[in-house]
Amino acid sequence: MVIVMEKHTAESNIERVMAELITRGFDVHRSTGSDHTVLGVVGNVETIDPREFELFDGVQEVVRISEPYKLSSRTFRKEKTVVKARGVEVGGADVVVMAGPCTIESETQLFETARRVARAGARVLRGGAYKPRTSPYAFQGMGVEGLKLLRAAADESRMATVSEVMEISQIEGMLPYVDILQVGARNMQNFNLLTALGQIRKPVLLKRGMSATIQEWLLASEYILTGGNYDVILCERGIRTFETYTRNTLDISAIPVIEKLSHLPIIADPSHAVGRRDKVMPLARAIVAAGADGLLIEVHHDPQSLYPDQFARLMDELRIIVPAVGRRL
Amino acid sequence: MNRSDAEREIDRIRDAIDRVDEVIVRLLNQRAKYAIEIGEIKGVLGLPIYAPEREQQVLHHVEKTCEGPLDAPTMRRLFERIIDESRSVERKAATENQ
Repeated sequence: MVIVMEKHTAESNIERVMAELITRGFDVHRSTGSDHTVLGVVGNVETIDPREFELFDGVQEVVRISEPYKLSSRTFRKEKTVVKARGVEVGGADVVVMAGPCTIESETQLFETARRVARAGARVLRGGAYKPRTSPYAFQGMGVEGLKLLRAAADESRMATVSEVMEISQIEGMLPYVDILQVGARNMQNFNLLTALGQIRKPVLLKRGMSATIQEWLLASEYILTGGNYDVILCERGIRTFETYTRNTLDISAIPVIEKLSHLPIIADPSHAVGRRDKVMPLARAIVAAGADGLLIEVHHDPQSLYPDQFARLMDELRIIVPAVGRRL
Repeated sequence: MNRSDAEREIDRIRDAIDRVDEVIVRLLNQRAKYAIEIGEIKGVLGLPIYAPEREQQVLHHVEKTCEGPLDAPTMRRLFERIIDESRSVERKAATENQ
C-alpha cells in the first residue's frame, strides 16, 4: 500500500500518519519528493481499510498495490481453471450452455425440456428444487423428489445437472443428484453456506449478488476456495441500476474484467438479468461474443424463459458467433 | 590516454568503489547495532519506536555535514531509507525485550 501526501503538506501531518502506521506494526518507507511525500507501507496491509488513512489530514490518496482476493486471482494462478462436471469442461475451449426450467414442476415438463435442450446442444440441465422466492406464498419447490427427476431427465439426455442450494442442511442431500451446486445471487454473501461448500469436492456455480461489486464477488469465491474446493464457476446475472425497463442490468463488462483478474471460469445468465423473453436472445449473443465460458438459460413457458424452439434457434445463432471468438460449441 | 589505459583506469576506480562500499556496509551495520541497543532500551521502558523529532534531527545533521558533491536533498533521501531500516530493526529489538 502506498500513501501519497498532499503537495507541501505540514511535517506534522506526515508524522501523524507514520506514527499510526508504526504503532500498528507496519514498516514505513518514506520518500520525500520536491512536492509530494510518499509513504510505502510494508507488512500485512490486507488488515488496513484504506479509508481510515484517507481521513488523515494531509493525505491525498491511498493506493492498494495488491488485491485483497488471493486464490481467485490471476497472480495466484496464471492458467485458466477448467472445472469438470460429469465430463463437461467449463473454462476450456468449449462454450458450455446450461439450460432448463427455473423450477422443477413435473416429470413430463422436465423430461420434455431436457430432450429438447439437449438436442439443441445444451450440455448441462438446470432446474431448481429449492426456490428462493421473494414471496413466501409462491411455490417453494419440489425438494429431493425434484432432484431425483432432474437426475433421471439429465441421464436420459446425457447431461450434467446444476441446481441451486439454499442452505447448508441441503448440501448432503443434493450431492447424489447434482453435478454443479449453484449459489444464487441472494446468497452470494451467505458466508456460512460458502464455507460449507468449500468443504465438498463438487463444482460450485457462484452467482453475482445483485448489488455486489466485482471485488466483493471474488472475495465471496475465496470462502469456497480457502476450504480447498477449487472448482468454482462465476456467473454474472445482472446488477441493480436505476433502469427499470429491464429487471436488472446485465454487466457485460464483468466478463472481460473477470477474465483478466481471475482464473475462474465466467459464465452469464441473460434470463434473470433481463427478465423478458424477447431480450434474452440478443443478450445471450453478446455474452458469448464478450468471451464468456458459458451461458445459463431458462427454457420454459415463464415470461423470462425461452420456448424450446427459440432456444434451438439461439443455439444456431451461437454456432456462428462462437468460432469468431476462437471457441467451440 | 589510449583505450587500454582508460580501461585500466576504470578498473582501478571500480576497485576503489568496492573498498568504499565495504566501509559503508561496515558502518551501516555499526549504525544498526546502535539502533538495536536503543530498541532494547525502548522495549524495556515501553517507549515509542517512532521518534519524529529525532529523525528530523538526524536528517538535519547529515544535511549540515554534507559537503558535496552530493547535495543536501540527495543526502536526505538516502538517509530516509537508512532511517526506515533502522526503525525496523529497532522495533524488532524492542519487541524481543518487552
